[in-house]
Amino acid sequence: MKEKIAQIEQLLVSELAGCDNLQALDALRVKVLGKKGELTALLRGMGQLSPEERPAAGQMINEAREKFTALLEDKQALLKKQAQEEALKRETIDVTQPAATPKAGSVHPMTLVLNEVIDCFTGMGFEVVEGPEVELDHYNFELMNIPKNHPARDAQDTFYVDDNIVLRTHTSPVQARTMLTRKPPIRVICPGRVYRADEMDATHSPVFHQMEGLVIDKDVTMADLRGTLNAFAERLYGKGITTRFRPSFFPFTEPSAEVDLTCVACHGKGCRVCKGTGWIEVLGCGMVNPHVLEMCGIDPNEYSGFAFGIGIERITMQRYGIPDLRLLFEGDVRFLGQFR
Amino acid sequence: MKVPMQWIKEYADIPVSAEEYQNKMIMIGNGVEGYEELGAEIENVVVGRVLTCEPHPDSDHLHVTTVDVGEEEPLNIVCGAPNCEAGILVPVAKIGAKLPGGIKIKKGKLRGVASEGMLCGGDELGVPVELYPHVGAAGLLIFNEEYPLGADVKPILGIEDTVMDFEVLANRPDCLSVWGIARETAVACGTTFTKPEITVKECGGDIHDYVKVDVEATDLCPRYIARVIKDVRVGPSPMWLRKYLNGAGMRSINNVVDITNFIMLETGHPMHAFDLDMVEGHHIIVRKATEGEHITTLDGKQHDLTPGQLVICDAQKPSCVAGIMGGEESEITEKTHTMMFECAVFDRAATRVTSRALGIRTESSGRFEKGVSVKTAMEAMQRACQMVGELDAGDVVSGIIDIYPEPAKEQVITGSCQRIAHRTGVDIPAEDIVRILKDLHFGVERNGDQLTVTVPDYRQDVDGEADLSEEALRVFGYDKIPSTLLRGETTPGGRSERMRLKDEVSACLTGMGFYEIMNFSFVSPKTVMKLDMGEDDPRLCQLPIRNPLGEDTSVMRTTLAPDMLSTLALNMNHNNDAARLFEIAAVFDADNRTEENLPTETQKLCLGVYGKEEDFFTLRGVVERLLATLGIETTVEARGESYLHPGRKAVLMAGDERVCCLGEVHPAVREEFDMTARAYIAELDMAQLARMRKPMGAVKPMPRYPAVTRDLSLVMSEDTHVGPLLADMAKAAGPILEDAKMFDVYRSAALGENMKSVAFSFILRGADRTLTEAEVAKAMEKIQKIAAEKYNAVIRA
Repeated sequence: MKEKIAQIEQLLVSELAGCDNLQALDALRVKVLGKKGELTALLRGMGQLSPEERPAAGQMINEAREKFTALLEDKQALLKKQAQEEALKRETIDVTQPAATPKAGSVHPMTLVLNEVIDCFTGMGFEVVEGPEVELDHYNFELMNIPKNHPARDAQDTFYVDDNIVLRTHTSPVQARTMLTRKPPIRVICPGRVYRADEMDATHSPVFHQMEGLVIDKDVTMADLRGTLNAFAERLYGKGITTRFRPSFFPFTEPSAEVDLTCVACHGKGCRVCKGTGWIEVLGCGMVNPHVLEMCGIDPNEYSGFAFGIGIERITMQRYGIPDLRLLFEGDVRFLGQFR
Repeated sequence: MKVPMQWIKEYADIPVSAEEYQNKMIMIGNGVEGYEELGAEIENVVVGRVLTCEPHPDSDHLHVTTVDVGEEEPLNIVCGAPNCEAGILVPVAKIGAKLPGGIKIKKGKLRGVASEGMLCGGDELGVPVELYPHVGAAGLLIFNEEYPLGADVKPILGIEDTVMDFEVLANRPDCLSVWGIARETAVACGTTFTKPEITVKECGGDIHDYVKVDVEATDLCPRYIARVIKDVRVGPSPMWLRKYLNGAGMRSINNVVDITNFIMLETGHPMHAFDLDMVEGHHIIVRKATEGEHITTLDGKQHDLTPGQLVICDAQKPSCVAGIMGGEESEITEKTHTMMFECAVFDRAATRVTSRALGIRTESSGRFEKGVSVKTAMEAMQRACQMVGELDAGDVVSGIIDIYPEPAKEQVITGSCQRIAHRTGVDIPAEDIVRILKDLHFGVERNGDQLTVTVPDYRQDVDGEADLSEEALRVFGYDKIPSTLLRGETTPGGRSERMRLKDEVSACLTGMGFYEIMNFSFVSPKTVMKLDMGEDDPRLCQLPIRNPLGEDTSVMRTTLAPDMLSTLALNMNHNNDAARLFEIAAVFDADNRTEENLPTETQKLCLGVYGKEEDFFTLRGVVERLLATLGIETTVEARGESYLHPGRKAVLMAGDERVCCLGEVHPAVREEFDMTARAYIAELDMAQLARMRKPMGAVKPMPRYPAVTRDLSLVMSEDTHVGPLLADMAKAAGPILEDAKMFDVYRSAALGENMKSVAFSFILRGADRTLTEAEVAKAMEKIQKIAAEKYNAVIRA
C-alpha cells in the first residue's frame, strides 16, 4: 500500500510539474482523486485487506488524499494567478489616449454670479421676490419719489409702452409692491432683468440685470446697511474686502451712498483695474426715503429701512475679466463653454 | 460741469492740491469726473518781439528772423509762417521748450541756417480760436496787447489753470454754478465762501420809458426781472472772461452774450438779452403759445409751437422759447443799441416738456428743469448789470421791473438732533450737526434736542429731517459709518418658488450638456414673421415699445424660438460643430392684460440643439428626461408648430394639456435664419411645469421575485405609430408588466414595401409571487392580440 501511494504521488508530482493549464490540472485531479481515479481505486481495493490492516491503510489513503488535494490546489492557485496575469497583460490599454468625456453644460455666467449674490443674502434671512418686467410707471417711478417730468428720469432713459406703462428701469418697483402688500419686518432681495434706452456697446446694454435689496424694520440705521454690505463683500470676494461709502443721490433714498469695494485685483494697493484708487464702484444704496415709505403705506415714524442695488453685469465682467458686454448676450458656445 | 479752479478760488480758497481737492469734494458728495491741467504740456514758451525778418537765402517761403525775448542777445530763428514780419509780438518756444503732443524744441538748422527756437501759432500751443480770436489767422499767433518780453505765455493765453469736471447730482442744481461749487468747496476745505460785493452803476432814465413787461402765465413764470441797457457797446470780452468761459467749455461770442453766460455759470441763473429795438411795441409778454404760432430760434431752426408752451413774446409774436432758447430776430448783434436783460424763473416740468417736444436742450433749459432759485434771481441780475459797467458794455438805465407776485416762502424744518444722528448710524454730536448746517448756510435754532432749520432758497432738495441727516453725515464723514449686523425679528428668507424651479430645470439641463443663453427681451416685429405662423396666431400680437432704440428692438417677444434659432445660426456660422442651448425668460402677451392692465408675462423655456450626434430623438429624450425629473408623464402626438419639419415634429401631452412642442426646424425657416445645418428646438412653459410637477413621494419596495423577459418582433405598416402601439401593449399586459421597450426597427425587401419590423422587449414580474409560465404566456398573448387587432402588427410569418 505504502509503495502504491508513493507511486501515485510520484506520478502526481511529475505530471503536476508538466501541467500548464487548468483543464490539464482538472484531468490530473480526476485521474488521481476522481471516482475512477487511482487513489480511489486503492480505496476500493481495501476490501481485499484484512480487517486488521484496514484502519492503517485507510488512514494512509486519507492522508494521501489530503496531501494530493493540497498539491493540486496549490497548483490550481498558481495556474489561476498566471492565467489572470496573462489576461491582465492582454487587456492593457493606453490610458493616456483621450477619454470619452461626457458633454459639459453650464448656466450663464450671469446666473453663476447672481446665484452667488443671492446666496449671500438668503443666508442673512433675505427672501427673493420677483415682479413684472413690463411695469406701471406708478410703481417704477411715482412710488420711487420720481414724479412725471422729474429730471431724475433723465438718468434712466426709459422705454415706454404708453404713458402709464414702462419697461422697468430698476427692480425697485418690486420693492414698492412688497411694501404695499407686506408688513415689516421686511427683508427681501429683488433680482431681475431691467431696461434702459442705452445703445449696445462694450459696457452698455439696453437689457441688463440688477439685484436690489430692501430691509424695513424698527430702528434700522445706515450702520446696519454698511454691516450687511460688508458681510456681502466678504462672502463674495473673501476676507479683507470692505466697503467705502461716498455721498450720492437717489430719489428713493435719503441719505444715499455710492459704495466702493476694496479692489479685488490689488487688495487696495492701486492697480490698473481700479485705476490706481484701490477701490471699485459696485453699488448704490441708502436709507429708504421717508416719502417712499409713506407712499407705500409704511409709517416712517415707526419704521426705517435701507435699500441697495447691485449691477450683476458689472460684477460678472469684473470677476471673469470679460472685456465686452456683448459676449454675454451673444450665446457663442466657445464663450459659454468656459464657465463652470 | 467744468469749472476752472481759479474761478472757484475767487470766492472760496482751495489750500490743497487739485488731487486732494478732488477727493475732499467727492467725500462730501460732489462727484468729480476728473480734472484737466491746462497747458501742463507747455514749458518755456515766452513772449518775444520779431526785430528783423528777412527772406531765407535758400527758400522761397522761410524767413530768417531775430527775436527779442528779453535776454541780452536776440535769438536767430527760422520761421515758415506767412504772417511773420518785423515788429510783431509772438509766442516763442525757446531751446528746450515743450509743446503739446510731447514735442521738444531743439537747436537745429533749416536749409543751412541755424535756428534757436520756434515762433508759435495757436494750434501749436493748443489755444482755441474762442480763447484768442487772432489764433484763427493762418500762421503765427500775434498778440494784440503789450506784454513784457520774456514773460511766460501760459497765463497770458489763459492756459495754465486746472479745470475740475464736476458730476453734479440731479438733486443739487445749485451746484450747477460757480457759487454753488464754491460754497461746497468752503465746507470741504474748511475755508470761507465770500460772494463779490455787488454795486450797479446806473446812468439815470427810467426803465418804464423803454419797455413794458406783462406776465400772463404766472403759473409757469413765478418771477420775471428785467433791466434795460442803453448805448450798448458790443465788442470782444477781456482775456479773463474769455479764459473762464473757455475753461467752462463755452465759446466767447461778445461782451454782452458773454456776460449772460458768465452770470449763468457763476450764479446758476440763466439769463437772456433781447435787442429791444427788435421787440415789437417794446412790449414783453410772458404767455403760453397759441395755435399756429412758430419761432425761429438763435440756431436758425424754425419750430412750430404747441399751445401751452411758454414763450416770451413782443406785442406781435413769440420772440423766445422761455428758458430754452432765444429767437433769432431779437438776438444781440453788433448793431444792437438798446437791450433788455431778462433774469426769470420758469416752471421745471413745463420747461422739460417743451424742451423735449422741440428737441432743444441747452445749458439754460437744463438748469430750469432741475430748478432755479426764485430768491437769488435779483442778485444775478444785479451782478450782470455790474459787469456791464465793468466791461463798459453799455449804460444801465435806472429802475428794475420785477414781477414776483407770490414771494417764495421759507422752507423751515423742525427735527430732533438725536433722530438726525440715529438714522445715519453715527453718533454725530448735536453741536456738530448745528455747526455743519450753519456752514452750509442753513439758519439753525437749537432748543435742547429740537432743531428749527431754515433752508436756503437754492437748496430745493432739502425738505425733511432725513435730508438733514444726509447734510450732517456727508460733512461729518461717510467714512465714520460703523458696521453693524441686522437685529430684530429674524426672517426665514430663501429663494422664490419660481427661482427654485428654474434652478432645478437648469441643473437637469446642464447635466445633459446644455448651456444657458440670454437674449434681449425685445425683437424686430418681423422676426416672428419668419416663423410662418397662422395669421390668427396670438404670438403675432406683439407689445410695441413707444421709443425703441431701433426697429430690431421695437417689440416685446412673444416666443423665445426666434432668438434661439438666431443663436443656433450664430454658432453654426462661427463653425462651432455642435451646441446644446437653453434659455429661460419671460414672453409678453399684449392681448391678455392683468388687472393692472399690464401685458401677461409668462416664463418660458426654450431648448435648441444641433450637431452630428443630434436628431429628433436626442432632443425628445432630453425633454422627456427633464419632465421625468419633474414627475410629469407625457405621451407623444405627431403634430406641432408650423415652423417645424412636418414629418419630424411632435407635441408632448400630459392628459389633455400640451406640455411641449418640439421638432426639427423646417428647412424653409432654417433658410430664413441663415442656418447651415439641421437643428432641433423645443418649447415649454415654466409656469405650467410649476403647476404640473409632482413630488416624488415614497419609494417602491425592492422586487423580491424574479422577472421574466420576453422579446417580440412585429411586422407592421410603415405608417403605424409605435408610441401608441407600445402604450397599448403595455396596458394589455396588465399589472405584471414592469417595463416595455422598443429596441430595434428593421426594414428589408423581404418584409415588403412600406413595412417595418419592430422589436420590443417586455419585462414581467409579480409583486408577490414568481410568475408561472402560463401567466407569462397569457400576458404575451394579450399583447399580441391588441397589436394584431388594433394595429395590424403581427409576428412575421
